[in-house]
Amino acid sequence: MSSRALQQPLGLRLTSASFLAIWCLVAAFPIFWIVVMSFKSPVDAYDPNALNVILGPNTLAAGKGLSILDIVLGIVVIWVTIRLCARKLPGMVRSHAPGGQVVFGWIIAGLVAVLGFLVVFFAILPVVLNLLNPILGPLGRDVIGMTPEHYKTVWIDRGFSNNFKNSLIVTTGVVTVSLTVGTLAGYGLARSGSTLAFWILIIALIFRALPHSVLVAGYLPVFISSSEWLSPVLGENAPTLYGKPMAVIAVLVAINQPFTIWMLRSFFQNIPAELDEAARVDGCSHFQAFRRVIMPVMWPGVITTGLFSFLLGYNDFLVTSLLLDAQNQTMVPAIAGMFNRETTTTDQVVAVAAAVSITAPLFFLVMAFQRQIVSGLTAGAVKG
Amino acid sequence: MLKKLVMAGAMSLMASGAWAACAYENTTPIKSLSAGFQAWKAVTDAMAECGNFAASLDQDFREKQPEAFAAKPSLYHIGGVANSTMIPLLNAGTIRPLDDLVAKYGQNLTPNQLIKVDGVTYAIAMMVNAQHLMYREDILSDLGIAVPTTYAEMLDAAAKIKEAGVVDYPIGGTFKTGWNLAEEFVNNFLGEGGDFFTQGNMPNINNEKGMAALEVMKALTEYMDPEYLVSDSTYVQQQFQQGKIAMANLWASRAGAMNDEAESQVVGKVIMAAAPMGSAAPASSLWWDGIVIASNISDEEAEAAFQVAMEGIDEEMVKANNDLAVWLIPGYEPGALAAGAAATAAAGARPYPASGPMGIMHTALGNGISAYLTGAKDAATTLADIEAAYVSAAKEAGLVK
Amino acid sequence: MNFKTFAAFVGPSVFMMLLFIAFPLATVFKNSFYVTQPVYETVVAETCTPGFLTQTCVTEEKSIPRLDEDGEIVTTTSYVGLQSYGNVLELGRAWEALSQGSWAAFQSIDFWKALRFTLMFTLVTLPLVLGGGLAIALMINNASRLVKGPVIFISLLPFIITPVIGALSINWLFRGDGILTAFLEWYLARDVAMFAQAWTIEVLLMVYRVWSVAPFAAIVFYAGLQTVNSDALESAVIDGASRWQRLKYVVIPHLMPLIVFISMIHLMDAYRAFEEVVGFSSQGYVITLQWLTYDFLVPDEAGNRSISRASASAMLTMIGIALLLIPLLRRTWRDHKGGH
Repeated sequence: MSSRALQQPLGLRLTSASFLAIWCLVAAFPIFWIVVMSFKSPVDAYDPNALNVILGPNTLAAGKGLSILDIVLGIVVIWVTIRLCARKLPGMVRSHAPGGQVVFGWIIAGLVAVLGFLVVFFAILPVVLNLLNPILGPLGRDVIGMTPEHYKTVWIDRGFSNNFKNSLIVTTGVVTVSLTVGTLAGYGLARSGSTLAFWILIIALIFRALPHSVLVAGYLPVFISSSEWLSPVLGENAPTLYGKPMAVIAVLVAINQPFTIWMLRSFFQNIPAELDEAARVDGCSHFQAFRRVIMPVMWPGVITTGLFSFLLGYNDFLVTSLLLDAQNQTMVPAIAGMFNRETTTTDQVVAVAAAVSITAPLFFLVMAFQRQIVSGLTAGAVKG
Repeated sequence: MLKKLVMAGAMSLMASGAWAACAYENTTPIKSLSAGFQAWKAVTDAMAECGNFAASLDQDFREKQPEAFAAKPSLYHIGGVANSTMIPLLNAGTIRPLDDLVAKYGQNLTPNQLIKVDGVTYAIAMMVNAQHLMYREDILSDLGIAVPTTYAEMLDAAAKIKEAGVVDYPIGGTFKTGWNLAEEFVNNFLGEGGDFFTQGNMPNINNEKGMAALEVMKALTEYMDPEYLVSDSTYVQQQFQQGKIAMANLWASRAGAMNDEAESQVVGKVIMAAAPMGSAAPASSLWWDGIVIASNISDEEAEAAFQVAMEGIDEEMVKANNDLAVWLIPGYEPGALAAGAAATAAAGARPYPASGPMGIMHTALGNGISAYLTGAKDAATTLADIEAAYVSAAKEAGLVK
Repeated sequence: MNFKTFAAFVGPSVFMMLLFIAFPLATVFKNSFYVTQPVYETVVAETCTPGFLTQTCVTEEKSIPRLDEDGEIVTTTSYVGLQSYGNVLELGRAWEALSQGSWAAFQSIDFWKALRFTLMFTLVTLPLVLGGGLAIALMINNASRLVKGPVIFISLLPFIITPVIGALSINWLFRGDGILTAFLEWYLARDVAMFAQAWTIEVLLMVYRVWSVAPFAAIVFYAGLQTVNSDALESAVIDGASRWQRLKYVVIPHLMPLIVFISMIHLMDAYRAFEEVVGFSSQGYVITLQWLTYDFLVPDEAGNRSISRASASAMLTMIGIALLLIPLLRRTWRDHKGGH
């Protein structure tokens, strides 16, 4: 669409750009706002005056604030991190990771980037600022009330890191199992023109439309009493499925299967069938053709689908809150627990900080995989 | 700023790990399932000091508890219950009689704490809770208004406060559709001296007592934030803290928040008083929270669990958390914050009439009353529809023939 | 591909769906025709609860379920046919209300109230999501290369954010003297209460849904725009087609499969809307079908739940979704047959 014949008049471009700016504001504002709230004292966070929420006079009066220098240096560090991640990271991963292990390369690169950022931002920067602030006079004086104490409460006092770990376990499990089972089925469905394949797809579609709360409520009694009804088969070692991350992973994968197979099927359909036919002529079985020939060209589709699985596992509330006990709880039900019947205003701001903490990994994830999402969707051009 | 954070983190880790104040070392693994509010946090933390103890503070506890206690063996040893949430456990026989254990380990319990059904102890209560009047002393005395003792007086006071225009809304109310709204109706209906059921669990709210309760509620909403149908206790508490309301019939467990320096702008200005009187009793109902022990566990486990539970609700825990709740435990010093709950009980407030049918009634009320308050239905139709909804659900549950 | 290979490929997936979706669904279907209830006995019992200083003891009649020797509650299960469906639909009352021409009375029946709002919610948000998504996609496509990346990133935020948190964050903006309500009050110079009447809440719920779904549509459309045939566009320009005509006759037909895809996903998701009601606590004013099912299903404090009515209501919701999807399913059938 970039040819000269399609060049647009200036007026149209300006209108388009300004509407886009408005959309960006609408899209980002609620999230921006909870980030601001999470750094304020409870009195400021719920102040009806927007300026008071942003500047935080009560938080400042309590001696917790940021100077202009703090802000400038903080922004610089964040900006540099983003730049480095966007520019250098993909190249580094590509050059260092061996062919088939791009995913691991990305995981390691992501961990290194996050760790590096945390060390610089939370360990090195404060020391530097503590030295600089007193020297610089007005630039070093606190101007905006801001306090990380709610994050401290969340991560240290409330043990949110445990919930974080549980979220990691559940999402990793969901993504891996979902993709393994889903790619097989997606490939089978894409390469079979049988009526059975069609009906499987249609029934999967109807399953996708089911109201989840109905299904999920049925699991609870079965999962809780599983050691009783499994004991004839497994004897003494029959597990209680309730509270086990494995059980939740299985449920989430199953619930997500319809969407996964539909999506992967359309990716597979875009890969010409001649490719596996050629492999078959060379003496490969269907499975070998699938593994050696088709999978290597499927990465964009797998990454895009994997991201959707990730979002489902990470964001799920209904299944995880019902089927996990407190020791294995993931982050989303844990935050809902902070809004129970007897909360104080401080608890609410703490919950806001927890909400921001949950959102942050998603933020980095999209930042890292944004290109893959778009190119994956373009390649697959989800055909419906 | 960030250095402080690291320091504080390290300190809190040391505080939680190094020092435990349990009288003995527990060796049997014990698990508990309860609601997640502050008082339970304090109690389960005290239990954890004995070791080998894992607490689930779960907002879905009432959905999980009946199933988890019915499993063999029960998934949890100790359960945290209230008046109403004890009913399904008691009905299914999944909690055990505690008289033996009380005799053996319960020397410090007062008779008031023992929840008895037909003379058998099934639960140990640790705290009570009730809605009662909280008001801004400074506003009422400025305007020369006496402390309201009935809803009629409260409405008069509200009219004067509104005229003076000193706060946004004279009255606050926990009128959120669902459980909260139904609870307000229950309070007022009990205040009018009503009984919810007649013979055979048939509903009995479509009468002049029910009408009176509804009318009082509607009259109160005139002076409330128009968003009353979404305001729960936390929201009303916030409105108080931000100085937006002058009076509310709010939970005793919320009293402490009024004087919390970190979030309240009205420290020391909110006074606790008895709930307004209906024509027969205070418009409030008494609730308790307490501990039960599962029956589907071995007697040894039950004994260990009970001992741990006793450590959780001992004097030491109460002394450390005096203002978190209105405790029933010896060692509690009722201060000014508990005065409202005490006065409400002394004026003859009735306990919440928890039962199987009442659970269904509470849900039907919670879903049905908003139609009257928004003006979609008149009082008689509203009550008739709620009764019809109750009957159809109770029939399905087998409680009504 | 022969059947055996096909079965080996789709086997694990089909097995998981059967176990965790089809089987529970069959149970739900069965439950909607049966009622299971405990056998109650009436006993007189004294209950003592704590008061201040002394206990309050009440002696009253109570209904207590009978337990068998193993300590399990004795239950009876009976076939009730369509009775639970009747209890959900309340056809008698609905007919009476309609024959009197009273819309208000009709809308006071939970199921019809939920159906009215769910349908409206679904059908109003659908064009907004499609139109909004397409507009955003076109604008992103128009934007200069420099800002494209950040703009896509920001656009994706509402879609990826945890739904519970997204709903709460919008809730905070409008609740009470929330920051945007305060802004509206200043702009309109009058008192605004967004949660005090049904229509503002309905608007909020829809705004939230469009806000969170439009980005998904936008990204899919944007991906589709990358594959628009530029030859076709240029020849359209040569033929003198206006910008609008090119959009209508070249771009939109090219995006048609994606429009069908988005519509299908959106119809399914919007028809079972649930988080919005919980997140905005709108149940005092408007409810949706899945919320109604959930309300039947979730036990009250005394542990009662209306499983039979919940199942019936769930089946009715499914029938509704199936009806909405029929046109799209027929298209898929044609594509499937045509594709092979």
